[in-house]
Amino acid sequence: MATSDVNRGAAELAMGQSPARRNAGVAGQYLSLGLLSVLVLGPIGLTVIQALSPPFRYVSAGRPLHPVEVSWQDRTWFTGGPLSVIVRTLIIVALLAWLQKVASGVSWRDKAYLAPSRIVAIVGGTVVVAAAMSSVFQSFFEADGNTALIVAVAMVLVAATQVWGYLSSPKRSPAAAVVMALFTGFGVIAFCIVTMGPTVWTLAWTRYNLGPAMGRSLVMTVCVTVLQVSTATMAAYAFVFLRFPFKRILFALFMATLLLPLEVTLVGNVATIRQLEWTDTMQALVLPFGAAALGTFLIRQGFRGLPPEIRDATRLDGYGHWAFLTKFAVPLTRPVIAAFTVISALSAWNQYLWPRSITESNAFNTLQIQLRLASSSEVANANQAIAAALVAAVPVVLLLIAFQRQIIRGLTAGAVK
Amino acid sequence: MSVSNAMAAPSDDAPVVEAPKKARRRRYDAKEVGLAVLFLLPSLAVFSIFFYLPFARLLSWGTYESVRGGSSYNQVGIDQYQEVLGGGEFRAGLWHSLQFVIYTVPAGLILGTLLAVAAHRRLKGIKVFQAIFSSTLASSVAVSSVIFFFLFNPAVGFFEVSWQSDPSWAMFAAALPAIWQNLGLAFVIVLAGLQAVPDEVMEAARLDGYGPLRRLTRITLPLISPVLMFLLVILVIYGFQAFAQIDIITKGGPGGATETLVFKIFKQTQDYGKGAVLSVGLFCVTLVVTFFQFAILDRRVHYGDE
Repeated sequence: MATSDVNRGAAELAMGQSPARRNAGVAGQYLSLGLLSVLVLGPIGLTVIQALSPPFRYVSAGRPLHPVEVSWQDRTWFTGGPLSVIVRTLIIVALLAWLQKVASGVSWRDKAYLAPSRIVAIVGGTVVVAAAMSSVFQSFFEADGNTALIVAVAMVLVAATQVWGYLSSPKRSPAAAVVMALFTGFGVIAFCIVTMGPTVWTLAWTRYNLGPAMGRSLVMTVCVTVLQVSTATMAAYAFVFLRFPFKRILFALFMATLLLPLEVTLVGNVATIRQLEWTDTMQALVLPFGAAALGTFLIRQGFRGLPPEIRDATRLDGYGHWAFLTKFAVPLTRPVIAAFTVISALSAWNQYLWPRSITESNAFNTLQIQLRLASSSEVANANQAIAAALVAAVPVVLLLIAFQRQIIRGLTAGAVK
Repeated sequence: MSVSNAMAAPSDDAPVVEAPKKARRRRYDAKEVGLAVLFLLPSLAVFSIFFYLPFARLLSWGTYESVRGGSSYNQVGIDQYQEVLGGGEFRAGLWHSLQFVIYTVPAGLILGTLLAVAAHRRLKGIKVFQAIFSSTLASSVAVSSVIFFFLFNPAVGFFEVSWQSDPSWAMFAAALPAIWQNLGLAFVIVLAGLQAVPDEVMEAARLDGYGPLRRLTRITLPLISPVLMFLLVILVIYGFQAFAQIDIITKGGPGGATETLVFKIFKQTQDYGKGAVLSVGLFCVTLVVTFFQFAILDRRVHYGDE
């Protein structure tokens, strides 16, 4: 086996190879995966550097700097009002608690999770981060030349608080625990420096009115998703469980809307909205997306996958259609409905062409349109426009982390049977 | 919209519904039909008001020519269709849309397959890499466009290149964010395809002495070809519907070099006559793409036992 495969170190991980070759193969695989990760994340990394340009100057000197002063605030962990202190602290607590959970492999509900070593790591770690970041911010602000040293000390201190927690997991060797603690210290301090130090995030937030725009996008997304899921569920139920005339024609009529994407009907729909005098209103943003052929199709597939005996049995037990729908059909197809819900929300949130076409005053921009405004208004303040784009991505990042499985199921529905 | 357009199409070959037995066909329960009407009405209302009605209006508006920028309209019949659809503007828009597709689709297929093949293996921590590769799903078109607008901005860009203002490079500059943003989607879809390939198949190929490269080209790629075809369809449709990238990065310029069909339609939302004809043109393009995709899918790309 090993002799017939003479080639391809990195990709080959056949069982009969010598340990040295296998280790080299594994290292090669990690190397190529790391390289690809850098390629995928590269644009984001460079963009963060751009957003933070002062005091991280552009990589090569002599580029135009941003005329609007973007400084590191003269602040400690505790300046900036009680709300931001609480939010900041909670983020660190959650981050450390999550890292300890991942490292230990113990679930939240397990009593063993709350061992003294982990309490020390979470509480102590947060206290140390708060204390250390105050000095780091101060040092950045004064630009006194000690910044690198202070940052390094802060990282080691945070790492020190985490070691005991990592060590108390049965499967960790001491060396692995120390390495993980060092990575944690590095990561947490770097995270705090990038997200909490510079004022560019808050400047972008207020300058481009991201708060109201985000709220508008959120309302639109929730309305569209609720409408789409409920209309699609009802229609799918009718197509599967109800007998009525013209079923085939109606279903074909539903599916034919897939041939009429918004791009095709845009001119007509904009005219409708103008005639109704609905420009700059929420109903204009929401109603055209009130029904979805895709959702009807997916949920119908889910309903058809239910064993027919369930319907027969519940009918004998006296359940009507409405009770069957709410108590059996929907709960039993929850994975499908959840997957459609998430991709429906995602595409509503990302909607660009429609809000762009029917909003006439900038005061009614959704988040995505507000980003266009930010990027086109003043190239000189590029760092704030970039910061606005990165801030705008945060809700979707959280959504992706929380519902990864549903999103992937929704996106790959139809690709793999 | 575009998601929905792409998703259902390839798998929508199932029979519509089990046909009721002939003898019972005529007997409908009035209550049941009433409930069906109630359940279908909301969707039907949306579809007729925002899908079929505007399309019908577009077809008729196409026969009217606007005078003085839309202040009044003259009926010119089918002439306007011939004039606009045969004219240089439509052809230019089509060509620009096609350019965008050519830039984004092969890149999406190749890079998506590369990432998925790289991340489809048993390694410690592979989940982290899979999360990283799918991370571009979190960026919207606007976010990715703003990011690339400033990365390659001629004045303040990280890379000071003049692609965005160079007519022959502008479309590529507008396609870059789409290429990057599609990475996550392409990765997720191809990975799902790879995970559906049974392990025994690869194991058998390995025991037969197939090297990694031959396993990839002879076994893996043919087996996941339906998935790649699905991805191809999605990417083509996304490509033809692209708008935000152009609106944010090049704004149609320089000199109209990046005015795609959708961008031209967007610009014509004041002139209903011409906008309508262009929309009908886009509809025909969509139709052709859809038929093409069904024709390919019908030839059964997969080598399964079906």
